[in-house]
Parts: sequence; structure tokens; C-alpha cells
Amino acid sequence: MHRLRHLIGRVWSAAPIATAILGIALMAAGVFGVRSAVHWLDRPSHAERQQPIASWMTPRYVARSWNVPRNVVLDALDVSQPLPDGPTSLSWIADMKGETVEQVIEDLETAIAQFYAEQGRTTAAPTPQADND
Amino acid sequence: MTEAIFSLVTQYGAIVIFASAFLSCLALPIPTSIMMLTGGAFVASGDLTLWTVSFAAFAGAVLGDQTGYVIGRTGGSALVERLARSPARASVLNRARSVVARHGGLGVFFSTWAVAPLGPWVNFVAGATGLSWVRFTIADVLGEAIWVTVYVGLGFVFMDQVAYVADVMSDVVGLIVALVVAAAAAIWIRAILKAKKGLKQQA
Repeated sequence: MHRLRHLIGRVWSAAPIATAILGIALMAAGVFGVRSAVHWLDRPSHAERQQPIASWMTPRYVARSWNVPRNVVLDALDVSQPLPDGPTSLSWIADMKGETVEQVIEDLETAIAQFYAEQGRTTAAPTPQADND
Repeated sequence: MTEAIFSLVTQYGAIVIFASAFLSCLALPIPTSIMMLTGGAFVASGDLTLWTVSFAAFAGAVLGDQTGYVIGRTGGSALVERLARSPARASVLNRARSVVARHGGLGVFFSTWAVAPLGPWVNFVAGATGLSWVRFTIADVLGEAIWVTVYVGLGFVFMDQVAYVADVMSDVVGLIVALVVAAAAAIWIRAILKAKKGLKQQA
């Protein structure tokens, strides 16, 4: 312990900036190391990791990530006109329909829960990929 | 914050991925890795195409790196020359130049993907210390190809848990960067101690 303190003192007096950087980097490594280990040891289940339906998601994204056919999502959204190419968010669809995004999300959750009940499923995984087309 | 990034990708698609890759390679604190993960997730859902997301991320990153290199080459070399006026600094800079000449390509390669947060600074130093443009570009292109493949690939595979994967990756990358910085500081301390010992022996 005494020798270590002596070594640190010698290094600090010779190169204070480099020693400070080393100290900070080692502390940061400790923090990130502990966080990485916690992530690994305390992995949540797939259902817990899965992102709840949010305003930024697209109909295709919801269908694929919740493993339901796309028409289940499109029927729940009840959009009369074809959606534009590229990502179309649920908030955009809510605006188009004149509804709140919370209402749109609730409708989707109900439709997905109903589909799962019909299929005898409880989660999106690990059932085989549903037909999304 | 993460939700806002997801929204940007939904709204602007590959353009925002290109812009964020470009700006983050110039040391602006933009979470490009989350953008690429989201891009990969939208490829999996069929909202974006693989080539658009990959090309946008790759082109933005390479252009950003090249810009950083040019800034280092023009502005940085003047700074280096100014620093080299002192004989002690000149000897350290000469050593730095020889390290860059020997291992610079490898450093650029790893800084573009394994320790990406250090990338912009490595590009700048590579330009300032005179690493050849061809070697820089080869290392840069290969490294960025890995960076884009890893993050877009992870987004594609874990498309329904992008936020969780981004969280895990930020800790893993943080750990790697901290260890690399610690190793570099240790090498720096060793060089200073060696130089001081040499001076004592000369006296």
C-alpha cells in the first residue's frame, strides 16, 4: 500500500495531466464495466425488453415487432386512403384521422390483444414470424 | 431523448441518418448509433430499404471523416508547427509522427468503429501529423463499413427492442473507450518517465 502510494506520488509529480486522465479513464471504465455486467446478469425477458407502441412507430413496424399480420394493424387504424411511401408515423396517421395519438395507440393495443387471444398467444415472441404482407 | 431520435428517423428517413453520421464524425455530440439502429429496425419492418440506410450512414460517416482529416491537415498542421518551436515539444511531436506513420492506419481503422467516440479526434490528428491520405482513406472506408454493418445489423435483428440495445451498446462502447484512453494515458506516462530518466542520465 505504501509502495503504491509512493508510485502514484512519483507519477503524479512527473506527469500530472496524464495521471489525471488515467485516473478519470479508470473510474469511467469501472462505471461502464459495472453497468455492462449488470445488463448481462440482469437481462430482462423479451417481453420486458420489447418497446410499447409509441407515436413514432409506423404501421409496418408495429406489425413486425408485435408479430401480427399487417392487415390486423391496418384494420385497427381504419385508414381510408393509401399511406404514402416511406415511414409513416402513428402520430401522422392520428393527425390525418383527426384523433389523438393515444386513441390510435389504444385501438392498436386492443386489436393486437384480440388477435393474440384468438391465436392463444400471450407475447410477440417466440412464435414464428407472422405473415406481414 | 431516445423517442425524439426515433421520431426524427420516422420523419426524415435516410437523410437524417446521413446528416447525423456526417456531423458526429466532426465531433458533434449526436447519437448516430441510435439513428443507425433505428434505420436497421425500419429496414426490418420494410419502411426503408437496406441500401438507402447503409449508403446514407456510410457516405455521411466517410465524408465527415474526410472533412475532419482535411481540417487537421490545414488548420492542425499550423498548430503542430507552432508547438514544435519548443525543442522538448518537437521531440515529442517527432515521436508522435513516427507512431502515426507506423500505426496510424490501424488507429484510424479501430477509431471508426470499435472506439467510435474517439474517431473525430483521431481523424484530426491523422491530418495534422501527416498520415498519407490514401492510407487514411483505406482504413476509414474499411472501418466505417464495419461500423455501419454492426449498428444497422443490430437494428435489423433486434428491431423490436432498439432502445434496450442502444442502452447496452452505449455502456459496452463506453467501457472500451475508457480502457483505450486509460491505456493511452499509461503509455504517455511511461514515455514521460523514460524521457525524464534520459535527461537525468545526460546531466
